[in-house]
Amino acid sequence: MTPTSESTATLLALRGIRKHFGGVVALDGVDFELRAREIHALLGENGAGKSTLINVLGGIHRPDEGEIRVDGEAAQIGSVTDADRLGIRLIHQELALAPNLSIADNLFLGREPVRFGLLDRRRLVADAERLRDELGLPELGDVRVRVGKLNIARRQLVEIARALAIRVRILVLDEPTASLSESETEALFGKLRRLRGQGVGIIYISHRLEEISRLADRITVLRDGRSIGTQRAADLDMQRLITWMVGRELKEHYPRPPHTPGEVALSVRGLRAPGVNDVSFDLRCGEVLGLAGLVGAGRTELAHVLGGLVPATGGEIVIGGRPVRLSSPADARAAGIALVPEDRKRDGLVMTQTVGFNLALPWTHLWSRGLMPDHRRRGAIVARAVKGFAIKAGSADAKIGTLSGGNQQKVVVGKWMEQPPKILILDEPTHGVDVGAREEIFALIGRLVTQRMAVLLISSDLPEVMNLSHRLALYRDGRIVRQGAAADFTPEQVMAELTREAPRTSPPAENAAHTKEGLHQL
Amino acid sequence: MKRFRSFLPLLAAIAFLLVTFALWVPENRFLTFGNLIDLAQQISVNGILAFGLTLVILIGGIDLSVGAVVALSGVICVSVLGVAGPIGGLAAGLGATVLFGIANGLCAARTSMPPFIITLATMLVARGMALGFNESRPLPIDADQTFILALGNAILLHGWLPLPVVVMVAVFAVSAVLLHLTRFGQHLFAIGGNREAARFTGIPITRHEVAVYALCGLCAGIAGMIHASQLYSAEPGAGQGFELSAIAAVVVGGTSFSGGIGSLPGTFLGAIIIGILDKGLNQAGVHFSLQYVVKGMVILVAVYTDVRRRKGTAQ
Repeated sequence: MTPTSESTATLLALRGIRKHFGGVVALDGVDFELRAREIHALLGENGAGKSTLINVLGGIHRPDEGEIRVDGEAAQIGSVTDADRLGIRLIHQELALAPNLSIADNLFLGREPVRFGLLDRRRLVADAERLRDELGLPELGDVRVRVGKLNIARRQLVEIARALAIRVRILVLDEPTASLSESETEALFGKLRRLRGQGVGIIYISHRLEEISRLADRITVLRDGRSIGTQRAADLDMQRLITWMVGRELKEHYPRPPHTPGEVALSVRGLRAPGVNDVSFDLRCGEVLGLAGLVGAGRTELAHVLGGLVPATGGEIVIGGRPVRLSSPADARAAGIALVPEDRKRDGLVMTQTVGFNLALPWTHLWSRGLMPDHRRRGAIVARAVKGFAIKAGSADAKIGTLSGGNQQKVVVGKWMEQPPKILILDEPTHGVDVGAREEIFALIGRLVTQRMAVLLISSDLPEVMNLSHRLALYRDGRIVRQGAAADFTPEQVMAELTREAPRTSPPAENAAHTKEGLHQL
Repeated sequence: MKRFRSFLPLLAAIAFLLVTFALWVPENRFLTFGNLIDLAQQISVNGILAFGLTLVILIGGIDLSVGAVVALSGVICVSVLGVAGPIGGLAAGLGATVLFGIANGLCAARTSMPPFIITLATMLVARGMALGFNESRPLPIDADQTFILALGNAILLHGWLPLPVVVMVAVFAVSAVLLHLTRFGQHLFAIGGNREAARFTGIPITRHEVAVYALCGLCAGIAGMIHASQLYSAEPGAGQGFELSAIAAVVVGGTSFSGGIGSLPGTFLGAIIIGILDKGLNQAGVHFSLQYVVKGMVILVAVYTDVRRRKGTAQ
C-alpha cells in the first residue's frame, strides 16, 4: 500500500466502522480509503458486508461505531440528504428507479423543479435533456419515455445519469454489471474511466475478478465484516485475492469433468419459438454443452421452450430417439428434462418456505399415501438431497431465505435428484453466487456429468462457459451461429462472434450499446 | 393530448351508458334535466370518497374504513352541532376523520401490517364508534341548521348547480392539482412505482404515506357530512359498502391496484360511470339483485383491461 506516483488526495477515509443488526454483526471494524481520481474495487463474498458498508456511506444505515472522514474532515452521514450534500452517490444493485415514471422524472426524483409551488414539467424535461447531452449519454434517447419500457442496460445509464445530476465526488456502484452484456459492460467502464479523469472517486463492487482487474486502480477485500487487505491492481495477485476472499486456498478454478460422450440424449432440429430462430444441436449423455450468449440473445427463451414453459412454434425435439412434444413443464419432466431457471428466487424456489419443503416439493407423489403425508419418507428424501449436495443449512426446517445464494442454488438443483433427470438445463447457474459457492456448483456439475447426465449450460460468463463445457455453441439473435469442441475456441473469437452486429430494426441509440464500435463515441 | 386519449374509452363508456339508459328507461325519464341534476348530486358522495382513495391506492395501499368513517363523521358533526354550531360541528367531524386517517397511515407506514388488514380492523373500530352514538339510532339534524342542511341539498344558480356537486368539484380540483401538478404528487407516483427507489432518493415516505391516509380520511369526512345532510340525519349505520363503490370508481377509472399508475380525472369518470349505472339500472326497473351482478361484471371488465394494458408496457 505504498503511495504511488498517480496517487492524489484522500477523498474518503473510514476507520473502524462497526454496524450490527440485532445479534448479527454486519461490519466489524472496517478500514477503507478512497482517493480522488481512483477506481477502488471492493471485493468480497456475499454476506461479507459490502452492501452494508455502502449503505452506511449513502446515509441509509448509521454506523454504531467508527469514523468517517471526507476530505480529512469528520463527517456525519445520517440521511440520504447528508450523503447528497457531501457529493456521495450510490447506484444500487437492484436498480432504484420508478418504472412508471419517465426518464426525466427519475433523473430529478426528489429534486424536481418547482414554479409557483407547482411542478415545472417543461423545465424538468429541458433539464433532463441538457443533463443527457452534457454527460454525453445520447443513448438515453427521449427523456419522456417511461423507464419501464427500457432494457436493463439503458436503465443502468439512467441510474448513472441520475447519480451525476448533482455534483458527485464519490460514486459508489454495487454490482453494476450483473445484468449487462460484455459490450454494455465495456461501455460502462468507458464512462467510469472518464469520470475518474474528472476527479471523481469511484467505489466499485463486484464479484467478477476479471472485470475488476481491467478496471480498478486498487482492490480492497472484505470478509466477515472486516477489511482483509488492499492491493494495487497493477501488481494483482489473483490467487492471493481469492485466498483473502474465501479465507482458504482454492486450487483449481474450473474443474472440467472428463469428456466421455455417450448416446445422444437430446436432439433439437430447426426449433422455433418467440426469440428462438431455427436452432439445431445434439446433446449427449455425459457431456456439457455450453450455450454462450449475451444477455438478450434469446438463451432464456430457448431454455423455456425445452422446459415446456413456452410452446415451440416449429421444429423437432427428439429425446432418447423419440420425438416429443413439450407443451407443459410436466411434459418436460416426463421426458427427463429438469430446468434450473435463471432467477432462482422468482422461478426456482418457494421463498416463503423451508429448505425441506422445497426439496420435497417435486416428489409429493412419493411421500403421500392417499391424502396423508408420510413424514418419514419425506424426511428421507430431504435428508438424501441435503447430504448428497452438501447443502449448508441450519436444518431442513430453516427458511430458504436464510441460506447463501450458493446453497439456495444447490437446493434448486438438488430438488430434482431424488430420481435424477437425463437432461439438466442450467440457465446462468452462478448468477449472484459467491466465489466459494461457484466452485461447489462447478464440482456439482462435474459429478452429475460423470453420472452420465447430459448438461446444457447456458451462461453469459465467458470463462465459466468456456472452461466447463466440452462443446460450445455460440448463440446470438436466437440462433446458434457456431458450434464445436470447446478447446477449438479462444475467448477473443467467442467475444467477437457474440458481439458481431446482426441486422436489427431497433433504433440506432439502442444499437450503439450493443456493439464494440459504439463504445468509442462514449 | 396523449393523456386525453387514455380517457377516451371511459368517455365512450359514459356516452354508451347515457344512450343505453335514454332508450331503456321508460317514458324518457332518464335524459331529463332534473334527472341529470339528481344524478350529479348522487355521484358527489362516492366521487369524494373515490378521490381520497385514488391517492391511497396509487401508493400501493388501500383504505377499507372510508364507509364507516362516513358514518362516524356524520354522527360526530351532528352531535356537536347543537353545542358548538355549524363551524364547530364541521371542525369536530373533519378533525376526527383526519385523525382517523393519520392513525391508518401511521400503522401502514410504520409497521409491516398490510393496509388491507389495518383498514379492515379500523373499519370495525370506526363503525363501532359511530354506533356508540345515540344508542345506534339516527341523529336528526335540526331544521334550523340551514348551513349543514344546505351542504347536501342546496341547489345554486336557479336550480342549475347542486352544492354537493360544487364541493365534489372543489375536492377534485384540489386533489388533482396536488397529485398531478406538485412535487408531492410526483413523489406519490414514485412511491407507488418503486418504494425502494423513493426511499433511496430521500423522499420522506412515512410522512407522505401518513399524509395520504389523512387526506383520504378528510375526504371521507366531507363525504360523511354531505351524506348526513342529504338524509337530514346522521345515521350510525350509514355508509355500509360505500368503500366498495368508491374502490370500483377508482379501479374503473384506470388506477392500478399494484400502485404507481392512475389519475384523478380517470377516477372522476369512473365515479360518473358507477353513478350512471346505479341510477340507470334502478330507473330501468332492473331488480336490485341483478344490479349487483351487472356492477360486478363492469368492474371485472375494467380491471381485466387494466391488467392487459399493464402487461404490454410494464417492465
